Amino acid sequence: MAPMNKDSLEELIAEHAVQYKEHYYRLAYSYVRNADDALDIVQESIYKAISSMDSLKNPNSIRTWFYRIVVNTSLDFLRKRKKTSPAEEEVLTRLDFGRTDRYEDFDLKKALDQLPEKYRTVVILRFFEDLKIEEIAEVLDVNTNTVKTRLYASFEKLRLTLNENSMEV
Amino acid sequence: MERNSLDRLKEEYLETPIPEELDFLVRKAFKDRRAYKMKRNNIWKKIGVTAASIVVCVGILTAGINGSPAFAATLSKVPVLKSIVRVLTFREYTVKEGKYKADIKVPSIQGLKNKDLENTLNEKYLEENKKLYEDFMADMEDMKKSNTDGHMGVDSGYTVLTDTDKILSVARYVVNTVGSSSTVMKYDTIDKEKEILITLPSLFKDDSYVDIISENIKEQMIAQNKADENKIYWVEGVNTDFEPFQKISADQNFYITAEGKLVLSFDKYEVAPGYMGTVEFEIPTDILSEILVSDEYIK
Repeated sequence: MAPMNKDSLEELIAEHAVQYKEHYYRLAYSYVRNADDALDIVQESIYKAISSMDSLKNPNSIRTWFYRIVVNTSLDFLRKRKKTSPAEEEVLTRLDFGRTDRYEDFDLKKALDQLPEKYRTVVILRFFEDLKIEEIAEVLDVNTNTVKTRLYASFEKLRLTLNENSMEV
Repeated sequence: MERNSLDRLKEEYLETPIPEELDFLVRKAFKDRRAYKMKRNNIWKKIGVTAASIVVCVGILTAGINGSPAFAATLSKVPVLKSIVRVLTFREYTVKEGKYKADIKVPSIQGLKNKDLENTLNEKYLEENKKLYEDFMADMEDMKKSNTDGHMGVDSGYTVLTDTDKILSVARYVVNTVGSSSTVMKYDTIDKEKEILITLPSLFKDDSYVDIISENIKEQMIAQNKADENKIYWVEGVNTDFEPFQKISADQNFYITAEGKLVLSFDKYEVAPGYMGTVEFEIPTDILSEILVSDEYIK
């Protein structure tokens, strides 16, 4: 496929962003939980997308490329805001759902919100944004096994059981 | 059934309320960035090409004069045709709709024999001002649609700063009043005799002018503040609340006065708080004399 010139590439990115803007907004919102910050992240992501147009090698992968920018921008935002190192959020085991163990009291939504962002993101991208495992791996810049591991772990915490379909690459 | 639970979660996720501004914001972000990039690209392209040819032009002329008395004598015998170069208002866009006001005057330079230069400049003026007008109209429509109770104003025009036999300096201003107003200046300085566009880098032998001029400006800022504490600049020694001024950019706004003095200009908010407006500094010629290519323009 012949390389696109800069103007038509930018057109493509613009069309794509307008079409998928709600998806990117919702993803940003899942990180920051308020409208103003989510809007900031979307705007910032667009600026970044335009400045780093060269990094989009294949126009067909524009969706994963853009998701990646939104994820990174959201993480930057959280880092600046909280000033805590994201590493603290990586460790799933520190989470304590312990006190209320009764099934009836288990709030799935709350549990999802409380998942550390690395885990929540794979759930969102897989089940709400319908990305394939391989695509998620591209977005997060990890290998597919890592994505699967995180999905397994998330499901455990969310007390859901996986069926074969969930793990389709 | 947990498939239902997951589906319910998905439903809730998809029900995240989307603010009205999202669409406007996304489209505007692309519009703004494109305009910014386009402006920069266009200006650089044109200046880039012209600057190269100017440096060569001036270089050769200077060498010729110094090297050969015969050449100098020949030059003086050539009659200098005085062409009448003028700046006129080519077009004016006005909008007056309640709280939305725009007044955009498009300048046009007439009388240059170098039609390439003349057309390039005039097309640039027309293009940029037309875009100003279109952006204004679009923003006005958007504001009306979103029922935001606001006012908007754009006032753009030009001033002829210098008009001597040798030099024409035209300043163009854009005053935007949305919220707190901002003023942006652009300048074009032309050698009327040679009919070329003079750029800041083309005046100097090398790029040491950036540092030399920057240091002088910092001195002037500090001195002005010492004399009058109400004159505040964002610079080390006066006020560093905001990123202090370090260096001018290689193509910083400038113009040349009728007396042949170099003046550098900064937009509102560029190096000082808004109330200071557009700030200018005249650079003393003696600190530049070593690095000026010639004393043709700057005396």
